[in-house]
Amino acid sequence: MSDDFRNSSLNELDALVIGGGIAGLESALNLAHMGFHVMIVEKDLSIGGRMIHLSKVFPTLDCSACITTPKVSETARHPNIEILNHSEVKHISRDENGSYRAVIEQRPRYVIDSLCTGCQDCEEACPVVVKDEYQYNLVGRKAAYIPFSIASPRIAAIDLDNCILCGACEKACGPGAIDFTQETRITEITVNSIIVATGFKLFDPDRITRYGGGKLKNVVTAMQMERQLVPTRPFNTVLRPGDGKVPDKIAYVLCAGSRDATVGNPICSQICCMYSIKQAQLILGAVPMADVTIYFLHVRAFGKGFDEFYQQAKMMDVQFIKGKIGRIKELENGDLMLRYEDIASGQVKETQHDMVVLSVGILPNMGIEKLFGDEKFKLDPFNFYNQPNEMTDPFKSNLPGVFIAGTSTGPMDIPDSILSAGAAAAQAAKYMKQHQASISHQATTPL
Amino acid sequence: MIKEPNFTGKRIGVYICQCGSNISDYVDVEKVREEISRGKGVSLAKITMFACADSAQKEIVADIQNEPLDAIVVASCSPKLHLNTFRGVAERGGLNPYNYVQVNIREQDSWAHSDKPAQATLKAIHLIRAGIAKVSLSEPLTPMTIPAENSVAIVGAGVAGMRAAIELADLGVNVHLIEREHFVGGRVAQWGKMSMTNQTGEEIITELYHEVKKRESIRVYTGANIIASKGSIGNFNIQVKIQPRYVEPPCDPESFKKAIEACPVEVDDEFNFNLTKRKAIFFNYRSEFPAMPVVDMAACTRCEECLKYCHGIRLDQQYRIIEIHVGSIFLATGFNPYEPKKGEFGYQEHPNVITFQQLKRLLDLTKGEFRFRGKKIERVAFIYCVGSRQIDGENKYCARYCCTSAIHAAIQLRQELKVPFIYHINKGIRTYGKQEILYEQSSTSGDVYLQFVEDDPPVVEVLNNPIKVTVNDLLTAHMEVTVTTDLVVLITGMVPRVNTELISILKVPLGKDHFYNEIHPKLRPVETMIDGLVIAGCCQGPRNIAESASSALAAVSKVYSILNKGEIKLEPTLAIVNPAACEWCGKCLEACPFDAIERIETEKVPVARIIESNCKGCGMCTPVCPTEAIDIKGYTNPEVRSMIEAMSG
Ligand SMILES: Cc1cc2nc3c(=O)[nH]c(=O)nc-3n(C[C@H](O)[C@H](O)[C@H](O)COP(=O)(O)OP(=O)(O)OC[C@H]3O[C@@H](n4cnc5c(N)ncnc54)[C@H](O)[C@@H]3O)c2cc1C
Ligand SMILES: Cc1cc2nc3c(=O)[nH]c(=O)nc-3n(C[C@H](O)[C@H](O)[C@H](O)COP(=O)(O)OP(=O)(O)OC[C@H]3O[C@@H](n4cnc5c(N)ncnc54)[C@H](O)[C@@H]3O)c2cc1C
Ligand code: SF4
Ligand code: SF4
Ligand code: SF4
Repeated sequence: MSDDFRNSSLNELDALVIGGGIAGLESALNLAHMGFHVMIVEKDLSIGGRMIHLSKVFPTLDCSACITTPKVSETARHPNIEILNHSEVKHISRDENGSYRAVIEQRPRYVIDSLCTGCQDCEEACPVVVKDEYQYNLVGRKAAYIPFSIASPRIAAIDLDNCILCGACEKACGPGAIDFTQETRITEITVNSIIVATGFKLFDPDRITRYGGGKLKNVVTAMQMERQLVPTRPFNTVLRPGDGKVPDKIAYVLCAGSRDATVGNPICSQICCMYSIKQAQLILGAVPMADVTIYFLHVRAFGKGFDEFYQQAKMMDVQFIKGKIGRIKELENGDLMLRYEDIASGQVKETQHDMVVLSVGILPNMGIEKLFGDEKFKLDPFNFYNQPNEMTDPFKSNLPGVFIAGTSTGPMDIPDSILSAGAAAAQAAKYMKQHQASISHQATTPL
Repeated sequence: MIKEPNFTGKRIGVYICQCGSNISDYVDVEKVREEISRGKGVSLAKITMFACADSAQKEIVADIQNEPLDAIVVASCSPKLHLNTFRGVAERGGLNPYNYVQVNIREQDSWAHSDKPAQATLKAIHLIRAGIAKVSLSEPLTPMTIPAENSVAIVGAGVAGMRAAIELADLGVNVHLIEREHFVGGRVAQWGKMSMTNQTGEEIITELYHEVKKRESIRVYTGANIIASKGSIGNFNIQVKIQPRYVEPPCDPESFKKAIEACPVEVDDEFNFNLTKRKAIFFNYRSEFPAMPVVDMAACTRCEECLKYCHGIRLDQQYRIIEIHVGSIFLATGFNPYEPKKGEFGYQEHPNVITFQQLKRLLDLTKGEFRFRGKKIERVAFIYCVGSRQIDGENKYCARYCCTSAIHAAIQLRQELKVPFIYHINKGIRTYGKQEILYEQSSTSGDVYLQFVEDDPPVVEVLNNPIKVTVNDLLTAHMEVTVTTDLVVLITGMVPRVNTELISILKVPLGKDHFYNEIHPKLRPVETMIDGLVIAGCCQGPRNIAESASSALAAVSKVYSILNKGEIKLEPTLAIVNPAACEWCGKCLEACPFDAIERIETEKVPVARIIESNCKGCGMCTPVCPTEAIDIKGYTNPEVRSMIEAMSG
């Protein structure tokens, strides 16, 4: 970050980007390249969103970390971008000039960022082990921890909810970076434009009792499988969680929580067919002898290179069976019995698998609409942020100067999220130019 | 035994990336590090988990400053991905970015030889030694800065092109909007009511065109084609040939109407996919833009009937060629609907087998009852994926827009035109995302869905009336179902527009699917291998309107961030001539594909000279020079030779 930006009062910037996933990063980078000053507010300890945790990405099978980290690092050091991690916007209001004033709350990480070297000595010293949410609970982490190996910033944080205040980390930390007295910081900024890129929530499969309601040991979500397949994978192979066995007959259940009015989500999640096909290919790489079967309703392989990717999976002997899974039952040895209507034969069938992956879908991640006070920031019928003119002004919201990008507008994959972010940035840039011109016009027009 | 590279006294830092495990699963990185660290000039050799991660970049910067290092080598993935990332690292550490060499031990090693880890390890060592050899000889280079013209040529005035023009103009860029047809709007103008918002194409195009016309910084050329282009990013000189419309103001709409009525020539109307006829002087539809008819000279007999009613008609108009100077070229040339072959599902064997694009025109033209060739239509069968998802054919891809758009049309047929029987003979419906709602709506309102599989397509019987379509239906456990229908609609996909000339003039890179190709779908989704040439909309691949507009605006971001700085840095890896060694044989001039070499007279002899703004550093000239007088900076003959020696030792 350049010094003049640091020293300038943080109060006046051009734009605020809420959410530091791939859509937020791309929006901010685009604006920064155009010369605007941007602040990113990210709820999490690290920027990068969901994408930084993925294995390889369809349809090109690039290593996701390898294409996310450069964007993350470019954002982190861009002179025009300021990042507030571990922060949330609490309130947004509009002033008489039409600019937005945002109040941002940054929660403490109890580690002084300028001192922490990321050496992990605190992690070593900490006696508390809890589930690691960044590994989707597949493994544990300490209460003093670095979120994940490629986090940005790669510095420690203390999880005070689980910390027993034993002080071991404080003693272990050479540079003295741990500071239990840190408090919540409030920052107020004024901006001319806002881009909302708060991403999506994953459907929680515990809501589907037919699929065991989260109680079956060897049923995992696709996100958990994704973590088993990343280059820094925890087990170096694929394991089923129940007993640590390498599975050899894996089933994917598509549309888990999507296209299903009974769980309140009638729409298609757009990405799960493709990520399942991708994971199937990766599993065959990691466990070459495994059988992988994908139970689907329709295979939505619609994008550039997608259908070819689907055909490739078929050639690799991934099995595709058209049929909706009615019920999953656990057997004594931990295997799972899947009951389904096999549409091709018209019969109800049962098949045994030793591991099941639920291809859970995308749900809206609401909340931003509450920040605007009296101004109404609208949602669409599915609770994604509304695009009043989706055909010709696609990422404009109903409020002037407020734009939306990525999966906060609806289900989409990474390529589409990146395009949407570029589009939102162009629209925000134009708005800011016009807005600034109108303010300076007001200022020079005598009353 | 592996030979040591030449040593020039530079202190070199080598970083070996595990790429998570993408590399270290097959390459024994510790062994590589050990071997490499023993090499002369290697001050340090380190292994990193992800060299591109922020923390690793910071570490390299610190090493450069603390050691200090004179040059660095990162052995990781393809330079296509990260050359600029690490050049930036070198620069932040205080090195000249060209004292950095990237060695690809992933795509060219660990992934290619995953079955032979020992050999992959050895190959990594060889490749890295070559990199060290190159960086030992590398010279600092400085990019040349040239001013960039703050204007853009947008090719194609469909939704994508017009949407981009408006935004770029508002950002302060001068826009030349070049449309090859005589009317703007592209395909959308043809579709009537559309998914997902029920807006009509006419409404959308009218709105966009009015916005375009409001802006003085947009110049619209219709009937215009690019016929030549020279130069590169920041400074393209383009020649545009503008065909006459043979009509000019002033003339009022009433007189135009009479002139058109008077024209005795009738030809197939392509706008309506030949469902109707039009005159030689014509409009495509009521509110078309520019709001002036055009004379189709190929059909005009010069009878001059029209002249009697409208004095704006000038049958002797000539074409013009104009030159424009722009900093960037923006391609939005769109697609063509797939045209089925004769006999494909009965096409052109029975008049009631039509394409989806024809149905869309019919719907737009129909008021009241739905009739075709004089008969009321009560049964319609759609056959999906025609010209798409061909396992054995040319078009392997899914055309993305058609399931949703077809179902939207089916809903219109049922709700507005009261067609009671609609059959969807599909290959698996792909109404992704929110579009699913239309599928739900159609399937619960009485439409019948039948599904076929790739190797057992539906059979259309056209010999008898009415037409019969037989499907081996997957949804009823492969029952053979025969549907009797009044109309068969082939739901056709998208293919690239024919643009052979433009593609060859601008050297547009194409993908396997023959659409224009981006550099990388995630990292650089709107840029092409030709710097300054961006692509958007359906010329890049099938998309609906919202997606076309989104990509167009994303490309606007790119163009604006190139042009708003006012200048462009050119790669310094260009050709260079040693005049003392040059004997002017002219071979380099012949070899150069970019007109970057000229002959100049010196005191004694003529020699070659490089026109740097044209040179792309492609290297075609170096091997043909008999005296080695010409070389490429950053890839000099001594550098390349030392790499070969290091590798083959
Ligand atoms: C299992 C799985 C596999 C996938 N595989 C692929 C694939 O192979 N290829 C592909 O193209 N796509 C894939 N995807 C889809 C991909 O993850 C998404 O397209 C992409 O992550 C969307 O990016 P985003 O920025 O919109 O949202 P996110 O990645 O969700 O980022 C949103 C960011 O906003 C932050 N945030 C949320 N709320 C707030 C708030 N109130 N204040 C501040 N910050 C906030 C979040 O912490 C997060 O960092 C996959 C998805 C899943 C679930
Ligand atoms: C039958 C059908 C129905 C559809 N229905 C819907 C729908 O309901 N909803 C929806 O969202 N989408 C629909 N679509 C998709 C929609 O048509 C496209 O998304 C949209 O047209 C893409 O716009 P574009 O600007 O990229 O391309 P185009 O519309 O093809 O425009 C490209 C323009 O470039 C011009 N051009 C080409 N080459 C040159 C050249 N060399 N020099 C100068 N100009 C050139 C062309 O003349 C044209 O004007 C439908 C498509 C089809 C085929
Ligand atoms: S807080 Fe201290 S001990 Fe923990 S990683 Fe940072 S520097 Fe190391
Ligand atoms: S993308 Fe595939 S798995 Fe996901 S909801 Fe849509 S149809 Fe189901
Ligand atoms: S969108 Fe539907 S009709 Fe079009 S090619 Fe894809 S699957 Fe076939």
